[in-house]
Amino acid sequence: MARLPTTELRKYLLTGQFTRRGCLHLRPSPLAPPIPPLRTLSTTPPTPSDQQPQIIPLRKQLKDQAKAAKLSGSPKKKLKKSDNQTVPGWDLTVGIEIHAQLNTPSKLFSPASTPSSSSDDAVHHHHPNTHVAPFDLAIPGSQPSFQPTTLIPAIRAALALNCHIEPISRFDRKHYFHWDQPSGYQITQYYHPFARSGSVTLYPRDGIAAEDGEQVTVGIKQLQMEQDTAKTLAQPNSTHYLDFNRVGVPLVEIITEPCIHRPATAAAFVRKVQMLLKSVDACTSGLEQGGLRADVNVSVKRTGEEELGTRTEIKNLSSFKAVEDAIIAERDRQIRVLEEGGRIEGETRGWSLGSMETRRLRGKEGEVDYRYMPDPDLGPVVIGGDLVERLGETMGMLPDEEVGVLMGRFGLSERDAMALMLMEGRLEYFYGVLEELERMLGVEAVEGGEQRHAMLAANWCLHELGKLAEAEEVGEAAAEEVTSQVPEQDLAAILFYLHQKKVTAKVAKDLLWDVFRGTIATGGVTEQIDSQDLWYKEITEADYAAIADEVIEGQEKVLQDFLKFKQGKSKAYPQGKLGFLVGKMMRAGPEQGKGMDPASAERVMRVRIEQVYLPRLEDAQ
Amino acid sequence: MLSRSGLRGARLRVVSLTSQRRLLNHFITHPPEPIPPPPPPAPSSSPSPKQFTLAVKDNIATTIPGLPTTCASGILSKSYVSPIEATIITQLRARGAVITGKTNLDEFGMGSHSIYSHYGPVSQDTPPETSAGGSSGGSAVAVANGEVELALGTDTGGSVRLPAAYTGIIGYKPSYGMISRYGVIPYANSLDTVGFLSKQINPLKELIIGERGLWKEHDSNDPTSLTTAARKRCAAQRRGYRSRQGQTTELEGLKFGIPLEYNIAELDPEIRDAWAAAAKRLQDAGARIVPVSLPTTKHALAAYYVIAPAEASSNLAKYDGVRYGARDAEGASDASAGGVLYASTRGKGFGEEVKRRILLGSYTLSSEAMDNYFIKAQRVRRLVRRDFNRVFALENPLQERETFELSDLPEEVEMEDKWGPEEVDFLLCPTAPTLAPKLKGVMEQQPVDAYMNDVFTVPASLAGLPAISVPMKVATEGAAGLQLIGQYWDDARLLDVADAVAKEVRT
Repeated sequence: MARLPTTELRKYLLTGQFTRRGCLHLRPSPLAPPIPPLRTLSTTPPTPSDQQPQIIPLRKQLKDQAKAAKLSGSPKKKLKKSDNQTVPGWDLTVGIEIHAQLNTPSKLFSPASTPSSSSDDAVHHHHPNTHVAPFDLAIPGSQPSFQPTTLIPAIRAALALNCHIEPISRFDRKHYFHWDQPSGYQITQYYHPFARSGSVTLYPRDGIAAEDGEQVTVGIKQLQMEQDTAKTLAQPNSTHYLDFNRVGVPLVEIITEPCIHRPATAAAFVRKVQMLLKSVDACTSGLEQGGLRADVNVSVKRTGEEELGTRTEIKNLSSFKAVEDAIIAERDRQIRVLEEGGRIEGETRGWSLGSMETRRLRGKEGEVDYRYMPDPDLGPVVIGGDLVERLGETMGMLPDEEVGVLMGRFGLSERDAMALMLMEGRLEYFYGVLEELERMLGVEAVEGGEQRHAMLAANWCLHELGKLAEAEEVGEAAAEEVTSQVPEQDLAAILFYLHQKKVTAKVAKDLLWDVFRGTIATGGVTEQIDSQDLWYKEITEADYAAIADEVIEGQEKVLQDFLKFKQGKSKAYPQGKLGFLVGKMMRAGPEQGKGMDPASAERVMRVRIEQVYLPRLEDAQ
Repeated sequence: MLSRSGLRGARLRVVSLTSQRRLLNHFITHPPEPIPPPPPPAPSSSPSPKQFTLAVKDNIATTIPGLPTTCASGILSKSYVSPIEATIITQLRARGAVITGKTNLDEFGMGSHSIYSHYGPVSQDTPPETSAGGSSGGSAVAVANGEVELALGTDTGGSVRLPAAYTGIIGYKPSYGMISRYGVIPYANSLDTVGFLSKQINPLKELIIGERGLWKEHDSNDPTSLTTAARKRCAAQRRGYRSRQGQTTELEGLKFGIPLEYNIAELDPEIRDAWAAAAKRLQDAGARIVPVSLPTTKHALAAYYVIAPAEASSNLAKYDGVRYGARDAEGASDASAGGVLYASTRGKGFGEEVKRRILLGSYTLSSEAMDNYFIKAQRVRRLVRRDFNRVFALENPLQERETFELSDLPEEVEMEDKWGPEEVDFLLCPTAPTLAPKLKGVMEQQPVDAYMNDVFTVPASLAGLPAISVPMKVATEGAAGLQLIGQYWDDARLLDVADAVAKEVRT
């Protein structure tokens, strides 16, 4: 039985919706592709040179990086990253701050709904300035009204990160001027956060550097709640539109201790936090969709020195690769400066995709004094132990446990298990398909530790769907949307027939494409097979024999190899030669092997060789 | 409170006063026709409430077309009509308030003489000579002039009590958290309260503790508005809320404290005499007069002028001309040059005193000064509250009971018994250290000198206590205010007692 994921539960309980495909499901309209946010989760004043770091789809980003690398024309072969985790004689220290959009129905201090909560209407939720209360616009005289429901995903996030929940936390105002911050300050919790002293343990499968061994634990200093900013939409003629939908949406900021020493481990940490937050349904979307944002603090010191070096901060990293690359680049820059006898300035730096160096954004003298002040309108947040206990009990499975289940119960490889968990919504989709498939297979087939169907489902959810996403016609934006184009029940039906050998693998793949392209209506897989007569009807044993005979005609040389084996003149059975003959059989069969099973063909071929042809050859000798 | 014919009479008077009004400059927006309350929701079983005229300080948001909310600031301008209505406006209109206009004030409530207004200074006489006090000066003059029965002000550090004292009317600041601040444009949220100005105490009593008493109404839009449960709990420890029957205004047996520290060098001798005379009269009426000590008083003013500007600098950060209000479209945008886009909008929109307090507040909140100013001021604030809790016989229902060291008290304080000095019901002190000054002198003053006027009003604000200023006769011509301060949520008794005290000291 598949586990009901928390995301499903929340959608059902809070908005009365199922994402299971059905008449309620709304496919994303091709007319309203999701607009990538121009500036996300920036909770600090952007510097003039970095006002709108763009969210670029990963695919494009990789292309751009390749292009940039080509342009830079560096003749030197680049170091492989796995070889670049340490620099002899130097110690690296990294601390990370992650901002994640909390998955809540309302904003932090106003009853306005969050843009991400209104999944009922894909078009509507991108309409600018439709999720705004007076307080969100800083209308004079309006006051904050803390929405207690925002605590639920926040506490879940803290529990997933092993934090201690503080019974009393407080909100401060952090001041800076920017047009995307209507009140001139952000309400945040820096001094009295709601959670402290957490930790995340990383394993090799999470992608930590080999130097970190079998596991590494990253300490979490605190988690704090704060408000998101508005979105700036650049227009022609140096005009900017402001969309206040996102203003005041609750964020959780996760601050680690400075205890990471390898770049790959830093990236692995961010990836794992994303996975943890997702598994407890605490955040809206991942790093590469703009729902998460990472800043890294980097310092180096010579090995053996006691004190940490001066640190610099690299802001707004929007991919796991960027986290690792930026740390490597900044580490190398700092070492270069120190080796040349220079000094590291405490400053804020930026990183663009595909570049080789971090760049200076502002120095200490350019730092804003945030003038933190307790918000006089807001009382302390008091979190009861009973709430924390209840949320802890109902949190469900955390990723490390889930990987164990996927590997142990379903026989997935560690790699596939991790891949399912890391892809947006893919794990839930897999469970959905599996549940449907198991229903069709019936109880007997599923019990008794049989794993073949689960492995089949996982393989298709990852690799065959992956092929759809890579197809030219899909385009970059839709890569994540593949699952929404292939209803779970239809994939399950295809897999059921494939598993039962009622259709061939080739037919199954064609059916998948038809479902994906919409040529098969939802629920119409069986009908399609019927009408197109795609059922696998195996040819008779005699037909196989006839084809085998046809193929062997004139292959005396090949048969000699089988004879040598039979007579003990060669040690290995000529499996390759057999495969060659079976291949010929498949091609020679009716309509390119229609109705033929390669296994049957191989079996018949083997029998014919041993029982008919070899005796003939022996006789001839 | 006002019959139909009375309302017509008020209208006639309005017309005849037009030219005088121009000289007094106490209104920013004054529609030709007053705005009647909305009809009661049908079907209504209860009769429409009696109507009364109301002037509204222009930092209280109104949504009525033609009634912009300017805060007397250039940065909002008369083009700004608020999309939200202040809860107190909704409450008063439902009780029959006929709004005659929006009154002038010190910009965003920052000032003690109503001179720092984008729309020019207010005066209480013609030709303009005498300060009306601030920052609710416009509201006070509208009441003193007989144009309205009730005016709304806001009181952050004395902004209702001071103009009431200067203009010879009643100014009442309720306990913090009793009246919703939603829609009241904040100067310093932790100190701001809605305040009421009137010539009579009865309309205030009716409003606060009458049948539809505002004291009962929690507003979920204001996170600092006391919950219904807390209101009931506080009222249960007080007299005058549950039953209005048999409430006497007997002075007999009441104890009034005279704070020793309020007898400052700057106190006008005329006011000191009047204060002493008032105490004598109350004693003659059967009250006990007890000297008390509020040792933190001398730091209270300094703490106030750290906390209030700090909160103001934060609250005023929202005025950037991007979403509402005036925007400087002439100056080039500094957005691309490392600026914030609206430096010149803010530079041109705010007046001198507001800029001064924003700078002051920005400094005291800076990482360099925070510990020495803001944090210390908060500590002083707690001590001020402690001072009050020590002298009042009633406990503060919002706080744990504290114990005090007798040795901390000044020597002059007499002990009632071995447990300590006598505890009092109310404090009795002047509202302001001087009579209403001349505008000419005020304008030539250093800004810091004007801060002096708040010395007696600020402590009650810091502690969130109810306080009322009633007119007190002085030897020469002119008016002074006598201030009564009560323990937290003792508003009902404060209003009753103020009524009796006012009668004693008026002549």
